[in-house]
Amino acid sequence: MAITETKSDSFKTRGEFAEVLHHLVRDPLGLTGLIIVSLIFTAAIFADWIVPYDPIALNIKDRMQGPSMNHLMGTDQLGRDTLSRVIMGGRIALQVALPTIGGAITIGVLLGMIAGFGPRWLDNLIILFFDTVRSFPTVMFALAVVALVGPSLTTVIFVIMMTSIPTYGRVVRTQTLTLRNSEFILAERSMGASVGRILAVHILPNVLGPLAVLAAMDIPTVVGLEAGLSFLGMGVKPPTPSWGSILNDGYSLIRNTPWIIIAGGVPLILTTLGFTFLGEALRDVVDPKLRGRR
Amino acid sequence: MTALLEVKDVKVRFGSGQGLLGRLGFSSGGSIEAVAGISFSLQEGETYGIVGESGSGKTTLARAIGGLHHAQEGSILFQGADLRGLAEAQFRGFRKDIAMMFQDPIGSLSPRLTIKSLLTEPYRIQGLKDRDLEAEAKRLLAMVGLPADFAGRFPHQLSGGQARRIGVARALALDPKLILADEPTAGLDVSVQGELLNLLARLQDKLGLSIIIITHNLNVVRHITDRMGIMYLGRFVEEGRTDDIFAQPQHPYTLALLAANPEPDPDAQLARIELKGEPPSLIQRPLACEFHPRCPFVRDNCRTGAPPGWQSSSEVHSHRCHWPADWQNAEA
Amino acid sequence: MTADILKITDLSIHYDTPRGALKALRHVNVSVPRGKIVGVVGESGCGKSTLISTIIRLLANNAKVASGSIVFDDQDLLALSETQMRGLRGTDISMVFQDPMQTHNPVLTIGRQMTDIQYRDKSTTAEKRNRAADMLALVGIPDPVQRLDQFPHEFSGGMRQRIAIAMALMARPKLLIADEPTTALDATLEVQIIKRLHELQAEIGCSILFISHHLGVIAELCEEVVVMYAGEVVEQGSVRDVFHSPSHPYTKALLDCDPGHIKEKTRSLPTIPGEIPDLVNLPAGCAFAPRCSQVFDACRSNRPAWNECKPGHHALCHLAETETVS
Repeated sequence: MAITETKSDSFKTRGEFAEVLHHLVRDPLGLTGLIIVSLIFTAAIFADWIVPYDPIALNIKDRMQGPSMNHLMGTDQLGRDTLSRVIMGGRIALQVALPTIGGAITIGVLLGMIAGFGPRWLDNLIILFFDTVRSFPTVMFALAVVALVGPSLTTVIFVIMMTSIPTYGRVVRTQTLTLRNSEFILAERSMGASVGRILAVHILPNVLGPLAVLAAMDIPTVVGLEAGLSFLGMGVKPPTPSWGSILNDGYSLIRNTPWIIIAGGVPLILTTLGFTFLGEALRDVVDPKLRGRR
Repeated sequence: MTALLEVKDVKVRFGSGQGLLGRLGFSSGGSIEAVAGISFSLQEGETYGIVGESGSGKTTLARAIGGLHHAQEGSILFQGADLRGLAEAQFRGFRKDIAMMFQDPIGSLSPRLTIKSLLTEPYRIQGLKDRDLEAEAKRLLAMVGLPADFAGRFPHQLSGGQARRIGVARALALDPKLILADEPTAGLDVSVQGELLNLLARLQDKLGLSIIIITHNLNVVRHITDRMGIMYLGRFVEEGRTDDIFAQPQHPYTLALLAANPEPDPDAQLARIELKGEPPSLIQRPLACEFHPRCPFVRDNCRTGAPPGWQSSSEVHSHRCHWPADWQNAEA
Repeated sequence: MTADILKITDLSIHYDTPRGALKALRHVNVSVPRGKIVGVVGESGCGKSTLISTIIRLLANNAKVASGSIVFDDQDLLALSETQMRGLRGTDISMVFQDPMQTHNPVLTIGRQMTDIQYRDKSTTAEKRNRAADMLALVGIPDPVQRLDQFPHEFSGGMRQRIAIAMALMARPKLLIADEPTTALDATLEVQIIKRLHELQAEIGCSILFISHHLGVIAELCEEVVVMYAGEVVEQGSVRDVFHSPSHPYTKALLDCDPGHIKEKTRSLPTIPGEIPDLVNLPAGCAFAPRCSQVFDACRSNRPAWNECKPGHHALCHLAETETVS
């Protein structure tokens, strides 16, 4: 039995967000994740001011240089500054990841709650949709869509979003199913609350916590997918810098200079680590019962 | 005085006709009758106790009356209107008159809402926009004896007793005529149990409420109910005025329940009536008298024939048993 | 060999919390004589669960032993290694928990679970099965041999609690710790289990530490009783002494509150107003003082002593002092 606190003391209602943040920074893993993620966001938001060079400006004279004071991460085969391209690529990565995951969560939550709370046939129908989508390999699906409508940022966002919906939808559905028979939902029903009200006011806030964790862990996957598609030439069109296209360039030039592939790979790894750490820590923190066990 | 609530031969079945297969006639297990014909009536200002052990169907009955379960048969007349089979939209009009309280004091409060939001939820649901929610929350907290600063707390910051008071306060928010309280003392310490029962009694005297208390605990019904029914396998086996039942229980099951209540006195004379075995499953109800496999006084005709219909030992006290306790000849 | 199978002396357990040490147990003394049933009564937050967890060493990570000793069968439990402790659990010390629906592994048959727990034994599986069947018969399960092949969900709550008791007694433990074993059961089944426990204890001769909030059950089953409040033992003595002439106001109030005690119909039941104190910031004097009906000045400032009211009957109360003024 873990005694955490007696009932009568913890009223200093800090607010859910502040409470989570407070516990997050006390966890070394969470703090590391938080720092990395904040750095990535800052770099992406202020990219226009931070980048030392125009990321698509050619400078054939200085092509394929190693790191130097002028070009901290060197230049590529067209003489473009790799650091600038990496920072801009980060922005692209987040531009793909955030709407993708935001969209997937919105649709997933909606469908998941309807499936969990609605009649049995609707549940079956939605589950069938989830399973169908999930049974496609993401990359194959992406290639098919790209073949139909051509590569673009929007295509990437659409494809990844569609394939992530079931992940969120399923989690929400399971949670809704457990909650729908709980006494507080019965109590709301006994007062005559409408289905919409029950879902929005009483179920939604209780399923969002686990989703935040899932989303944080999903961002690296999406970034990786975008990089992968761009690497294959199916994502972001050149000359727009993307981590995937940087890797692609670096891959073909790996015999000439290793710097490009390192410059493109390290931020990808860091992003993955940062968001995973954050997600792991969030999982412990958002559940008040697990809080402070570390 | 007319009855506020009149329950007539209500039956609630589970497990049949649900799902596609069931509807097409491929029902596999058959249905169970959780409530198998219950009748009772409740006057205004009266408290009625429904007593039974787990699996007796008491909670299902309460939820059927409260419109949360569909009752397949019978009628539930509330102020003359039949509530049975009403669609949710039609039932909504009765929601403000019938308030329910659930077993788990903390679990029946939506966990992410503050006490103030929880208390004023009924007004928002019923669309009463003219109410001053702040003032109403204060009024309700005062009514159940909690300080006003509780309004900002969350359910998990309350003790069981405090959460239970919030449940009572919320049930009273819309001035209901009837409160259905399912195990109102479950999960509470003995020292707090009394507090809650006193509160209910006081509020009833003040507001003229009718209350139905569902419980397994005879001690709870003894002091605050006027009449009671003892439920076994979805049916009443004995029904009547609480005082009469405590004074002269007729059905052996009632006798056993009354005796199964250890007293905090090591020297208490134990006239214990021990029941054999465990309650049978609803899927395979015993034949003849349904209580006979466990009855300590079982005789031959209990095994062969169903007990006679309701027998009255007085005008307001009746039971169903072949061999009721014989208080005249003091031979049980 | 000492007279007590379990002797807890001056035990204090503190939990580390962000607000400071939460003093869940303070200077607790409990002893269980060999072959006796000792009851522990108290309401939520009194420290019953912490006490059990300490004895079988399943405390949360943030708990630490601030003082005291636990001597079981002449060995100091707090000094044992984890491995030695594991050797004791399930053999010399067994437990029965509150919720019979969650004590068994749902995917194994009862027979499998009952033979598995005899893993220390060298005998053949058939012998172990026989012993399991005998044990089931002993706790009153009909057709024990057939029922060994059934899964937990095929048994009702009352049956499962009997099986839990059978499993706990299988190794013929010296001490059985029963944590609210009848709370989750219906009254008619509770009576059956209590009766069976009584018979089994007489037959096996083990000691039982029986934890319950239900005074009636304690009165019926136990010979000695320990009353706990807010992490302290407030009264201890024979069931007869404590229940007939309670010396601590909390025990008195608790007995008054028990609805089984109140024979006359009333619409105003007795209660104990107030809440248990904050175990991080305890009141200076007696922990019960803020709720006590007989409180006087000394209660608010001085911690009461462990006074003997009569031989073998103690209370932690200033009022109990009068008879033994030194």
